[in-house]
Amino acid sequence: MSYNNISEVITVNMGPQHPSTHGVLRLVVDLDGETIVNVEPDVGYLHRGTEKLAENRTYHQCIPLTDRLDYLSPLSNNLAYCLAVEKFFDVKIPERADYLRVILAELARVASHLVWIATHALDIGAMTVFLYAFREREEILDLFEIGTGQRMTSSWIRIGGIRADMPEEFFVRAKDFVERFDKNVDTYENLLTNNRIWKMRTIGIGHLSAEDVQDYGTSGPLMRGSGVDFDLRRDEPYCCYDKFQWEIPVQPEGDTYARYKVRMKELREANKIVGQALETLPAGPVMTDDPRVALPAHEDVYERMEALIRRFYIVSKGFKAPKGETYQGIEAPKGELGFYIVSEGEERPYRMKVRAPSYVNLGALNHMAKGHMLADLVAIIGTNDVVLGEIDR
Amino acid sequence: MTFEQLVQNLDAQFSGKLNCYTEYKCNFIKVKDASVYKDVLKALKNDASFLYIVDVVATHWPKKKEKFEITINLFSIQNKLRIFVKVAGEDNKFPSITDIWKGADLMEREQYDLMGIIFEGHPNLKRVLLPEFFEGHPLRKDFPLKERAWFNNADEQGLGLKFSR
Repeated sequence: MSYNNISEVITVNMGPQHPSTHGVLRLVVDLDGETIVNVEPDVGYLHRGTEKLAENRTYHQCIPLTDRLDYLSPLSNNLAYCLAVEKFFDVKIPERADYLRVILAELARVASHLVWIATHALDIGAMTVFLYAFREREEILDLFEIGTGQRMTSSWIRIGGIRADMPEEFFVRAKDFVERFDKNVDTYENLLTNNRIWKMRTIGIGHLSAEDVQDYGTSGPLMRGSGVDFDLRRDEPYCCYDKFQWEIPVQPEGDTYARYKVRMKELREANKIVGQALETLPAGPVMTDDPRVALPAHEDVYERMEALIRRFYIVSKGFKAPKGETYQGIEAPKGELGFYIVSEGEERPYRMKVRAPSYVNLGALNHMAKGHMLADLVAIIGTNDVVLGEIDR
Repeated sequence: MTFEQLVQNLDAQFSGKLNCYTEYKCNFIKVKDASVYKDVLKALKNDASFLYIVDVVATHWPKKKEKFEITINLFSIQNKLRIFVKVAGEDNKFPSITDIWKGADLMEREQYDLMGIIFEGHPNLKRVLLPEFFEGHPLRKDFPLKERAWFNNADEQGLGLKFSR
């Protein structure tokens, strides 16, 4: 009996409790020896029915639900949802609120990418980066705590603006952080970019071609890492990104190393946007005075009867959105995050569909992993940057 | 290419079978004749550079004659244009578009799972977010929110357990 020509496919279960699956992702892997034949993701362990819950809540009450989607960058989710609802009313957002939204969303991007580089490097075996990246992430979470009162599920971006202006300490510490952060990215890059082990583990792994990324619908850094120059912040503008000078990093190679480079560049670019926004931050209100969506300010509520009634009405019953359907996508840290809202002219959305980037990116996992070794699957999950809160919804 | 030019091109090909409109800054193409639904999508992908599939959304309208509606969200990176292709049907059967965009696989599975749309021609149509023994499709409007049995009372894994309230 010869063992040389035996090629038997065995099925191995990976997860849901596996350190490299970043949550509760279960993979059913078909292996021929060490080579991956087929990967099938099994998700849904964290399913909370966000879309169904939203159908029974008013538009304001849906905001806390969105925090819990991509829990690494809750402010991006708030932003996408609020922009989608604002599209129904064509609300004019005050300039300062727009700037503060950009600052919060970009800081959320930095925080999310820091978790990505930390865990991705840890999975592959570079532990030092984990400690450095979490040190900086902690600073951003502190900033969120000062500015929004919460480290993670802040619900700070509201329909019509943001909840309230930030205290002075937020701006002082944010400026300090922005000045130092570029050097911190240098530290991570010193540890990884020319590291021989890092290069061996990432170059040529998980290849996606420019046609594939569009065919699979994968967005964000996965798209830009495959040479597709696409960023919703520029191609379907929202907020006030056109007022800042920044670049969109694109790498043509389409492998894990290219996506690593794209995300590292994005860290610097996001930091650049925050710096410029802090420099040029205009003064003024942070909440629109459009009575259709905005809660009247507390000062008015104490003095004016109409404001009191309106506030009571919006809080207890909600405001009615006009009949129709709309969609707003934003460039979230993981890719295109979109909210598709169908309104029947009631206080609640008739149907809300969350276009979660991680869920769609997961669809390309099998294509990326086929033919690689099982150990490379860990690198491929890391480069996919999945967040299970968003996949399962 | 703007949306108006796209509508002109499509009208030449599928005259009278499409209803194109813009609502809240979103461009919709409603396919009135379901038999040309996949031809429209193929024309959009091959001739109008809508290579990037964003999403597949199903909506349930129990009070309307056409009870289910599918919305395909497409983006053309070349033209920086987003469109929504809609098709409605009386029953929950729609042709699958996995042969046009590979990424539609997981998106359609989710809509099957939560809304119970049968995508004909889908290679792997099974539940994705909910467990396989779950009964019903929760995003349908007639799904009971209260007084629902705890999953089903069957002992799926044969553990000798009894599920009851």
